[in-house]
This record gives sequence, structure tokens and C-alpha cells, in this order.
Amino acid sequence: MTSIGTGYDLTNSTFSPDGRNFQVEYASKAVENGGTAIGIRCRNGVVLAVEKIITSKLLKSGGNKRIASIDRNFGMISSGLVPDGRHLVSRARDEAASWRTSYKCPIPSSSLAFRVGSYVQAYTLYSSVRPFGVTTILAGWDSETESRVDGQVGSGPKAALAGKTKGTKAGGPGLYMIEPSGLYWGYYGAATGKGRQTAKAELEKLDLPSGNLSLEQGVKEAARIIYAAHEDSKDKDFELEMSWVSSSDGPTQGRHEQVPKELLEQAETFAKRAMEGDDDEDTATGGGETMEL
Amino acid sequence: MLNANSPLASGPSYSFATPPNQTSTNIKQHSFNPYTDNGGSTLGITGDDFAILAGDTRSTSGYNINTRYAPKVFKIGEDDGTGESAHIVLSVVGFAADGNALKERLNAIVKMYRYQHGKPMSVKACAQRLSTILYGKRFFPYYVHAILGGLDEEGKGALYSYDPVGSYEREQCRAAGAAASLIMPFLDNQVNFKNQYIPGSGEGHALEARKATPLPRAEVEQLVRDAFTSAVERHIEVGDGLQMLVVTKNGIEEIYDPLKKD
Amino acid sequence: MNHLPQAWGRPRNAILGAYNPSILQPSGPKAHTTSPIVTGTSVLAVKFKDGVVIAADNLASYGSLARFTDVKRLRTFNRRTVVGFGGDVSDMQYLDRLLLSLDIEENYGSSGHDLNALNLHTYLAKVMYKRRSDINPLWNQLLVAGLDGLDQPFLSSVDLLGTTFSSPTLATGFGAHLAQPLLRKVVDDEAKVGSVTREQATNAVRECMKVLFYRDARSLDKYSIAVITKDGVELKEDEELENQSWAFAEMIKGYGTQTV
Repeated sequence: MTSIGTGYDLTNSTFSPDGRNFQVEYASKAVENGGTAIGIRCRNGVVLAVEKIITSKLLKSGGNKRIASIDRNFGMISSGLVPDGRHLVSRARDEAASWRTSYKCPIPSSSLAFRVGSYVQAYTLYSSVRPFGVTTILAGWDSETESRVDGQVGSGPKAALAGKTKGTKAGGPGLYMIEPSGLYWGYYGAATGKGRQTAKAELEKLDLPSGNLSLEQGVKEAARIIYAAHEDSKDKDFELEMSWVSSSDGPTQGRHEQVPKELLEQAETFAKRAMEGDDDEDTATGGGETMEL
Repeated sequence: MLNANSPLASGPSYSFATPPNQTSTNIKQHSFNPYTDNGGSTLGITGDDFAILAGDTRSTSGYNINTRYAPKVFKIGEDDGTGESAHIVLSVVGFAADGNALKERLNAIVKMYRYQHGKPMSVKACAQRLSTILYGKRFFPYYVHAILGGLDEEGKGALYSYDPVGSYEREQCRAAGAAASLIMPFLDNQVNFKNQYIPGSGEGHALEARKATPLPRAEVEQLVRDAFTSAVERHIEVGDGLQMLVVTKNGIEEIYDPLKKD
Repeated sequence: MNHLPQAWGRPRNAILGAYNPSILQPSGPKAHTTSPIVTGTSVLAVKFKDGVVIAADNLASYGSLARFTDVKRLRTFNRRTVVGFGGDVSDMQYLDRLLLSLDIEENYGSSGHDLNALNLHTYLAKVMYKRRSDINPLWNQLLVAGLDGLDQPFLSSVDLLGTTFSSPTLATGFGAHLAQPLLRKVVDDEAKVGSVTREQATNAVRECMKVLFYRDARSLDKYSIAVITKDGVELKEDEELENQSWAFAEMIKGYGTQTV
């Protein structure tokens, strides 16, 4: 059933007789044209990467960052309507800060995903608002070591276990993708935006659930996948922006940061070389990846 | 304690069967005291074409010296952004935190005046504005004695002195702060020539007072130094350094002289 | 300000009489903090040519009771500034969380700038002055140590009244009486900061911590010390006084009523 002319698509929060909210589906259309954004959950951290289409030569290269930090240990990237993404960043920061005032510790990635997800979902419920025109990828690292409570000044009881259980494992990488409907899942690898099909296909090849991919390899693969996903819109220039968050003994010490310039350049070189290799293969096999769109 | 004795035992007797309940007046409640005195002294003198504001740089709490260098005299309206140089000076003495807050407020107002009107604020206008700011906190005052200095519309030295709640007056000279009572009589005599008479001009009411005339700058600077070196001798909260800001038509000059650190 | 945080911000007993504990009763009008509860004693700091040394012991007292003996009163901000706290410990914890949220929010900007010690001191001074103006003070005296915008050593104080001052050497609480004169022997003038070495400054601070342990009854022989330079913060939180001993005490006779 098409939505056109039925009237069921004219207001948000209105179901069509077959149980669809067309405004949410239109919002998803906005995402389909956004720059490709991906996240890879690695063994010791998470990588985010985004294809920034250069819309004007007057834009400063390396400026206008698209990946935002939430608290200290989360990164957030949205594909779709950029200002909608910024609003979500602002909301996520408020949620993270409010968690800290309540619980005196950083918000776990699952809880942040839940709160942002709930927020997005609320915008599908009222006719006075429109849904968010973005799909958002949230990457974080929950501290695996026992972290101090905010404002803690002592070391606590030294004797016995003091209510703690020994040998329990906590924390680790977190990667979530939130859609305009408010639907969110945790992923090993997430992709959204224009080149998502290619990106997803590439992500699946990485065997991420096995937990073998290291963060450093993840950075290279992320760059390569963005380059691969860009193949379909080759006429446009783009810039690669990448960020990462590692374990507390890793390169970012549990914080979310932009990938350092040298490493970014290395990854881009790797990605370009891989693309050249692909071209050779394509000519050999006659190309097989153009069917997806 | 002062209230240890019952008022009935020593106080007046009452005609009522039961005396008025005294407990409420006897309760003494300690609470937070939002003020303190950081000592120090300031002084301002004007001449024909200049104004000098000076202050020592010691900051105290009780018998402790917090620091030997904490300026009490400030340029007002200076702007690094626009390159605008200041032409008004303010000194504050008393509670240093209030002094700083007052300085920052006046500074912002004088800058905003220039941005909005495209011309610098006159000292006269600034003086009235400072009074309004102070009175605005009439019931929780800035605990400071402020002195404002600059040049008036005719280019003559202008000096305004304030009480903590904004009462103000244009004067020839004024000392404020811990050693005000030591310095002010000296100034009365040396600047306004109080108690100075023309020898042989007569006797009794016929004795002619020496007329006050504006003093030259070098002489005023030396008066300021003398006033402070004397105050340092007799007041423990004054010392360490003497900072002077001299306003002339060429701008503001800053002079620093050491004082005794004892 | 003297060595009794309980007396800070209050008129002397000579003016209003001794402290009246009736205000501690739960009934009556709403009262903000009128006295600190768990307190930390002195914080000491000295500037030297490349930076600042700052120290505070690890004790939090409940009145005269040595209540917590592993309280870290030097807090780093931004990996380049250290704030030393004297006075109420719960207010210190509040300020620590405030600085944490400030740090997080500052990093959201992508300008690459971050707050230096001078910026942080200005911020804290405004927080403290606002709270005293609301008659709801944070019962602390803080020392902010680090580098300013020109990478020069920066050391400044702010207290519960919002009073600020800066000096080559600073000491809060009991240290203002006992340590400050000793520290001024090392550097008495801003102009001489350039000729003080890191070793001189560190040794002076360590010696003063010892003097304070001997004479301040609310002090501890375990302390934290931090050195802040252009290379960042080196913070040690489990230092112990060296060459410290009470052995000499048994030789002393004749104090008070003791006659034998």
C-alpha cells in the first residue's frame, strides 16, 4: 500500500490501516541520502568513521567536525539531517550529565542508548512534532576497571572484600545504532547513510563477533569501508573523519577522541591502496558490487 | 558571657505579674559572616591637570599577610580588544572580594558605554553610575570605600569619594581604609592648608587663613609617598608596596615604590 | 583566617560570644552551612622557575577526631592544573564534581584550547563569591597551582568569602602561621621565583609539612605532593614524612604541671 493520497501520511503519530507510521518512514528517507557513517566494535575499543561529502570548496579541510563527544567516553555520529543530529548530541550530553549528578559515575553505554532511543521514540508519538531525520551511531567504552565515584577522595576500606565480588568482569566496548523510529540495537558493526549496503557487506566479512579485530586494525578497516562505500558516489569529493575510544590501558585511555592525524593518514593510504586492488579485481571478474542500489 | 546575669536581678523591675519573656532577646545565633577586612589604605589627590590615586599593596587577614602584592588601584575601561586606553581610575579598600566584584562591574559598564555610545564615559557620569551601583546593594553592601579619579570636562583633575552605600562627593583629596584616620589630617594640612595662617596678618578672627591652591604634580607625588611611609610606621595593615596611578591628558602612568615589609 | 576552619567567616568570640550550638537543632529557620563538619587542614604551595609545588596531608578531621586518614586533598584538573583544598571535605567533593563537569563540557568544544590555572582560578573565585553572596558558602580555602596563559608559574588562593590573592608562596589554615614564614625565606619576592629550583621548592615544602606535623594537632604524617610544570602534573598521593620522630619528646620535662 502506498502512502501517497491516503491521508495517513499527513500527520506524525498517525497509523495507516496496515500499521505503519509514514512520517517515520519519510524520516528514514532523509537518512538514506546522508553521508555514510559506520562504527566497528573491536576487541579493545570502538571506531567511528564518516564520509563527509564536501559541498563547497570554501569549507575548511579538517574543520566542521561531525563526530561529537558525549561525556568523556562516548562518540556519536549521525547520518541524515545534520542539525537533527546536533540536537541529539546536545540531548545525549544532558542525559550523561544528569546521570552523573544522580549516580556520581559515568553513564553506561547501554543506558545512554536507552535514553537517547527513548527520546527519539517520543518524537513519533505526537502530531505537534516530527521524527528525527537521522540514524545515530553511538560508540562508547564502559570502564572495565573499578572506577572511583565522582568526588571520591579516599580509597575506601582496605580490609576484606567490603561488599565487592572478586573476579567479576565489567565494562567493555559498546556500539548502538538508533533509527528515526526510536528503534535501537547493539551491534558488532553498524552502518548508515547512503553507502550503508556496501558498508554492511564489508563489515560482515570482518567476522567481528569473534572479537579478533584489534582497534588499530579496526581503524584501517573503517577507513577502507568508507572508501569502498564512496565508490557509488565517486563524482563527489569527500573527507574522511574518524574517532575512536579504547580500553583504559589502550591508546585513548578510555576516552573518546579523534583518531590522531598520522594514524588517520596511514589508514587513508591503506584504504586507497585497497581500492586500487579492488579495481584490478573488478576488471578481472567484471565487477559484482554495483547491484546493491 | 554578657547575658549570664538575669535581667531581673540587675535590670529595672516591672509592674506586670510576669516579666516579659526575655529568652528571645538573649538568644545569640552565630551564623556565617559574609564580610572580612583585608586592611590596607588608599589615597587620592587632584591637581590642576592631573589626578593621582594611590594604594598600598598589602593584603591582610587578621594578623596574617596574605600577600605583599595585591593592587587596590585599577584602570577602568581599558580594552585590549579595541585598543581603547583607560582614562578613569578606581581604588577600593575594605573587603577585597567585594572590591574586585565592584571593579569588574564598573569596568564592564564603562566598556559597554563606549560600545553603545561610541564615546568614552565622562568621569562625572561614571561617578554617578558608581554611586547607583553601590546603592543598588544598599541592604547587602559592597563593604568598600571607593575613590574614583580622572579628568573632568575642563581637563582639571577630578576625584570622587564614596561610602559603602553610594553616598559621594567630589573632593580635592581623600584618604580611605585602615590608615585613613592617620593620613587624612595630614592631607587636610598639606593639601587644603587647614590650620595654616598667613604670619602677621592679624590676631584672633582677623588672622588670615592660607588659601588652598592646586599643587604641582611632583609635590603631590611626594606628599603621597610621605603619607604612606608615615602610615606604614604606625599601622600594621599598611605596607609592602605603594602603587600610584597618575591620570593626565596623556593617559595613565603607573608608579610602584617599595614600602617597608615589616 | 586562622588555623581553625570552624572560625573562618565568623566574627571573633570577643564580639558575639562563644559559638552557640543551639543552631544545630533541627527545628527553626532553614540554615545554610554555618560551620564545617569534616575538615582538612593546611595546604602549602611554592612557585619555582618552571612551575609550582603544592602539598596537603591526607587527613580529614571530625572536630579533634582524626576521622579519615587517606583523603586526597589535591585534585588535578585537565591534566595540567592542581587545586589544593583546605576546610570542609564535603564542599571539596562538591567542587571536585563541579570541576569534573566543567572539564567534560570544556572538551565538547573543538577549539583545541583548554583552561589554564589562571582561567580555573577565575572560575572558582566566581563560584565562591557567588555562594558567599547567597549566604550559602562553600567552607573552603583553595590554592590553585599550575601555569598561566603564557606558561609562567601560577599560584593563587580563593576562600569561602571569595577573597583572592596571589603570591610566590601560599599556605592555608595553620600553614599560614607556621609554614608561610618558612616558605618566604625561600622566595620572598615574585622577581626571585626565576632563581628557585624545583629541588629547593620541593624540599622547602616537605620540610614545612614536617614542621606542621609536629605542631598542628590536626595534621598527619602522610601527605600528597604535586609538581606542576609545562610537562604536566606529577602527583604523588602516598608520601610519608622523612626523618620524623617523636623520640625527643621523652627527654622533655617541665611542661604544664609536670615537675618530675
